[in-house]
Amino acid sequence: MELPYKQYFESMPCYLTVQDRNLRVLDANRWFKEDFGEIEGRYCYQVYKNRSDKCEVCPVERTFRDGQRHSSEEQVRCLDGSMVSVIVYTTPIYNDAGEITAVMEMSTDITEIKALQTQLRQSRQLYQTLFEEVPCFISIQDRDLRIIHANRLHKEAFGTFLGCKCYEVYKHRNEECYPCTVRQTFEDGQTYSHEEVVTSIQGKTMNVIVHTTPIRDANGEINSVVEMTLDITQIRQLQDKLTSIGLLISSISHGIKGLLNGLNGGIYLVNNGLQKDNRDRLEKGWEIVLRNVSRIRSMVLDILYYAKDREPILDQVSIAELSSEVCSIIKGKAEEQKIEFICDTEDNIGDFEVDRQAIRSLLVNLLENSIDACRVDKQKSDHQVRFKISSEEEDIVMIVMDNGIGMEQETCDKAFSLFFSSKGNEGTGLGLFIANKIATTHNGSIHLKSGVNEGSTFTVRIPRLHSTNIESKTEEQK
Amino acid sequence: MTEKKTILIIDDEPDTFTYFSTLLEDNGYNTVGAENGDEGLARVKESPPDLITMDITMPKMSGVKAYRTLKEGEQTKSIPIIIITGVSEDFKEFISSRKQIPAPDGYLAKPIDENEFINLVKKLTSS
Repeated sequence: MELPYKQYFESMPCYLTVQDRNLRVLDANRWFKEDFGEIEGRYCYQVYKNRSDKCEVCPVERTFRDGQRHSSEEQVRCLDGSMVSVIVYTTPIYNDAGEITAVMEMSTDITEIKALQTQLRQSRQLYQTLFEEVPCFISIQDRDLRIIHANRLHKEAFGTFLGCKCYEVYKHRNEECYPCTVRQTFEDGQTYSHEEVVTSIQGKTMNVIVHTTPIRDANGEINSVVEMTLDITQIRQLQDKLTSIGLLISSISHGIKGLLNGLNGGIYLVNNGLQKDNRDRLEKGWEIVLRNVSRIRSMVLDILYYAKDREPILDQVSIAELSSEVCSIIKGKAEEQKIEFICDTEDNIGDFEVDRQAIRSLLVNLLENSIDACRVDKQKSDHQVRFKISSEEEDIVMIVMDNGIGMEQETCDKAFSLFFSSKGNEGTGLGLFIANKIATTHNGSIHLKSGVNEGSTFTVRIPRLHSTNIESKTEEQK
Repeated sequence: MTEKKTILIIDDEPDTFTYFSTLLEDNGYNTVGAENGDEGLARVKESPPDLITMDITMPKMSGVKAYRTLKEGEQTKSIPIIIITGVSEDFKEFISSRKQIPAPDGYLAKPIDENEFINLVKKLTSS
């Protein structure tokens, strides 16, 4: 080799060898010799790979065969035992007759690149696992709010709708939401979080907290926004429950204070009646005591029913027997208040499949409400509470009707709401809520018709046979 | 012999009215009743009482509105009012937060202490 070429050959920053047809190394540059040792009488595969036979696929052999340049990736072992990844290029060397006499092999060390590639692959796998398996819904959206990537949980909950608009998938609507935090993140690059209610493809409504974060390209431009959505439905339900308990305690303590005051009043009249030997006062006081004790008892039963979420214990119940039982409870209370009580049960009405205790408590609750509505009515002197049970197709219809104070439309609308009471200090707002709950758990309904000073009519409709397929509903109308 | 003072009891609960009226009559007062704020204001207009006891949670017009109306009326603002309710602490806080409404002359929480009640009524009707 001529001197200048020899110098270039030696100083090239890669491994350079010249090999004959038998893969014997004829010449090698300084880098090669430093890392692989002397070449005298040695073959390529011995030097590079410490093998006794040539490799199955050899780019040098291929170049000898077809005169073309070839390349391959190889792993070679240095003198110190370290493994080096190389990319190999081969070039034929011709004599004056145009015959290939040798092949020059150039091997470039790509160990660092290979290591970076491995790291990149591993971090991609890690990112992929995190993206797919993190317990929240993740979507990546473009400027048109189209979902361009979504994780597994997102696809399971909202379907595979890549390319669809975010609001179509999350909210099944045709227009962009306002305000849209993804849009805001695109505009100012800030992260946002807010609460939303979304619906899954299974129709499940979820309370979610949504976080948006920008994704920037190499120039710092925002090209997409990642939306991470966490299902917080259970937390919200728990909060609602805790709020309900707080309201319940407040409502109960308020109710109990009123009842204790009434009870004290009764005791005052009884004591005073005894001291003054005034029988009228004593009887009046005792009546107040009994009434308030009975109210405390009802309140405690209501609280217990509310506190315990229970399924109805179904039984074949004789309607006539249940009606007679309820009437005997109410009759005395009506007589005390000089209210006429009429109980009318259809002949041979038979049985129905209900939770006896629950339906009994529902009817007593409605009838006691009617007695109260008559008791506090000062507009009329004659009061009447009517209780009628009849059958209508597949349903048993129970009507409780009074000519008491009645209710305004607004009161009617809220009558079955939890903690709503039109009775001031006397009510806890549990009675009608529980009555309605009992009716709906029996696949039935309660219909309320009322007017101020006109009285109220509650119509309870319960299927004779309990069936979970019948959709229950409650109507509240004037 | 001095003329009996008249107390207007505004409370929707008949048992409470029976209790308070008996207690007050036993202590030498005349009593008049009203079931809600609306009716209470009408009674005051008919014949101003010497003192009013009033509940807060009542149907139709609540005690809060009735109290405000009474304290804003030229003819009625000097009538002493005792608030007697199960939510008196809440009411006290509510009134204190609104400086333009004068504080009631007395607060009592249900169930009442009879002696405290009568002493307060005596104090407010003695002047």
